[in-house]
Parts: sequence; C-alpha cells; structure tokens
Amino acid sequence: MSGPENTPDDGVKRDDPMIAAEWALGLLEGEELLAARGKAATDPDFAWRKQWWDDWFAPLTDAIPGAEPSDHVWQGIAARVATQAAAQTSAAPHAPAPNVVALKAEVRRWRWVAGLTSAAAAVALALFFSAPGRSPGEAPPAQLAAAAPMVATVPVGESGLRLDVTYIPESQRMVVGAIGLTADGVHDHELWLVPADGTPLQSLGVVAPGEVRSMELPQTVTAKLGEGASLVLTREPIGGKPEGKDAGPVVAKGAFTRI
Amino acid sequence: MAARPRPSSDEAREALRDAMARLAAGDQSALEEIYRATRVKLFGITLRILGDRKEAEDALQDVYVNLWQRADRYDPTRASPIAWLSAFARNRAIDRLRTGKVRGGAVPVEEAAPLPDERPLADALLIDAQQAAQIHKCLGALDTRTQGHIRAAFFEGKTYAQLAESADVPLGTMKSWIRRGLQRLRACLEASEAS
Repeated sequence: MSGPENTPDDGVKRDDPMIAAEWALGLLEGEELLAARGKAATDPDFAWRKQWWDDWFAPLTDAIPGAEPSDHVWQGIAARVATQAAAQTSAAPHAPAPNVVALKAEVRRWRWVAGLTSAAAAVALALFFSAPGRSPGEAPPAQLAAAAPMVATVPVGESGLRLDVTYIPESQRMVVGAIGLTADGVHDHELWLVPADGTPLQSLGVVAPGEVRSMELPQTVTAKLGEGASLVLTREPIGGKPEGKDAGPVVAKGAFTRI
Repeated sequence: MAARPRPSSDEAREALRDAMARLAAGDQSALEEIYRATRVKLFGITLRILGDRKEAEDALQDVYVNLWQRADRYDPTRASPIAWLSAFARNRAIDRLRTGKVRGGAVPVEEAAPLPDERPLADALLIDAQQAAQIHKCLGALDTRTQGHIRAAFFEGKTYAQLAESADVPLGTMKSWIRRGLQRLRACLEASEAS
C-alpha cells in the first residue's frame, strides 16, 4: 500500500492540482500535509489551485446546520487578541501604530520576499502563531525569523518535475517531497546541502522518488542551514555516492528561502 | 420563515465585506462585528468536523484570533467573505483533526446547540447561490459511490484510510476512486467557468 502513488492502473495522474484538491478536501495527513503547505508557500500556482478548490467547495458548507457557541468563546477571543496586541506593543515601542499595522507590514514583507500569495503568508503566520510559549516582551520579528520555516524548490531540468524541501527550524526536521519523480532503476539521486559559508557539502541523503519523506537533521547540518544555503541534487549509483568516490553530476539546484 | 425583516443577502455580504476591510485596516472593533455575524455558521462547521463541542469552540477561537492577526489575507475581489471564512474555519478544524488527538466525526443532531432567535444574518449569509448550484451539479454528476466518499471527506473530515475502512476496500482503491472523482469534478467546474 505504500508503493508509488502513480501506478498505471490508477488511471489518474497525481499532479499538483490533484494534490491541491486532496488538500482542500482535507485528505492529506502528516508529511504530505506539511509538504503541501511548504509548496504553497513557494508555488503561486499551487497556492492558487488550493484556493480555487476551497472557493468551489465552500458553498457545500451551507448544508451544515449552524450552531451557537458558548458565550465564553468571544471572551476568550477578545482576551487573546488583547494579550497579543499588548505583547506586540511592548515589543515594538517605536511602532507608529501598534499590533495590526506592524503585523501587516510583516506580512507584506514576507509576500515581497518570496513572491508569496496570501495563502503562503497564511501558512507562515499559522506556523508562527502556533509556536508555543511566546511570552510578552520578546520581539516578534526576531522570533519570527527563528521560527519561520525555510523552503527550497529544486526544479529538475526542463522536466517540470521538482523537489520540494521544507525545513522547520524548531523541530530540526526537513521534509523532502519528490512526488513527481520516478525511479529509473539504475540511478539514485542524492541531495546535498551547500552551506553559505563555503564549507564542504553535506549529504542529506538519497531522495525517495514518488514519496514525501521527513528526516531529523543532525546539529552539524542544521548549523549550516541558514538563509542563502543552497541545495544540489546529484545523480549517483543506486544507494547514493559510493564512499571514497567523487559525487556524480549535478542535475538540479535550488536555494532556501525563509517564508 | 422569519416574522421580522432581515438584511438581504447582498446587504449582509456588503456589511461583512466592509467589516473585513476595516479589520484589515487595523480596526479591532470590526472583529466583534464579524464574530456576531458569522459565529453561528462557522461554529456549525467546526462542530461538524470535530464532533466535540469543546474542541470546536477552541477551533472557533483560533479562527477569529487568526483572522485578526491576518485580516488582510482576504482578497475581496475573490470569494465572498462568508465563503472565504467558511473555508478558513473548515481548514482550521481539519488541521486540528489531523494534528491533534481529536477523534472527530459527525455530530449527532441532538448535540448541536439550539439556535438563538436572533440568528444573526445566518440565513442571509448563504454563499453565492449560483456557485452553490454549480458545485452541487458537478458533484451530482459523479457516481453515487464516489460522491458519497467525497462528501464524507468534506463533511466529516474522513481520511483516505478511514474511508477505505468503512467501505471495506483497499486503501489504493479508495484513493483511485476519489482521485478519479476529483478529476471529473475539476473538469466539470472548469467547464462551467469557461462558459
């Protein structure tokens, strides 16, 4: 059951629009869900398609009967908003107008940086704001930079295929999605981190074609994984680069961007 | 149905759109207005997906706090505000279902809280009728079985594995059915956009 998703008898190509549909419907779980979010942050087409499905599915919710929440729900919302507004104000005393304005500027910056869609900003914010234990007084931008996930897209030649790599600093986990790739039975592809400081490449392992895999990175790797770090993909014999031999040809590259 | 007058659908939508714009501009008081107008619908959604009042209320809180944090995400030129908020609420509830320990499932009717008489704008805030008709038409064009599974995913937050189990078919089969269904659904919806 864990075999490649695109088996011939499937009859359906699991392309990006399909994954967006599965996501909108709520079918994605675990690593695939994480990978889809990361992808939406860097791929406007994908983010657009997710929104497209959301828009179309939305009217279905009219069939769901409404329900009245308890009174304490609004009180909770008001309290959380007030707390966060206060935290932001105390963290940014120079801001001309508190909270919302500063926050909006931050969102705009993100959008500008990565050419993000609003959906992408949403992901970034969702991840940021769900970061646990934020206490008042900590400067949001710095913390934000620390918590914001980093994403890299590694397009493979002209094929339209690509790797989607998402790194979540807090968890030291990296998710590598190679959904469109297929194994040729002769080669494997190995992913390498190229540190921004010019130190030697570090292997991130062999890519699993057609799969989304998550891995915990050792501290030696995460220390080098900052903005500007890039990735290369090399073609290797099955199993990856043999010990003591040079790495194979570089078939694709990409760079990390914070979202 | 109602004895007293209610805002028309257009008025309600405009009022909500306006409140969203004010919230995006930093007007915190707009949040309460949005909450009053939409809580019943959005709570219905989170309750349906999560199947637990406490969880659904927590999810609802997240929805509005998040909305306040990033009100400018909403693009008024796209979806109607209530459609956007509905998708947003459902997505948050599903996220909770997927990441948490919540068991989830459809809510038995008797568990749903009674609606207050004020029922703020609830009826007036139905999503665009034309768009609703189209998605129902396209869904209706699928075979009954596939339609049922897609609906179960949408309304009950079921995963592929859960759907496969309840239908007693292999996981791969369920994936194929649903993906084929989604592919046809997309073609049907795109055809309607083109015409």
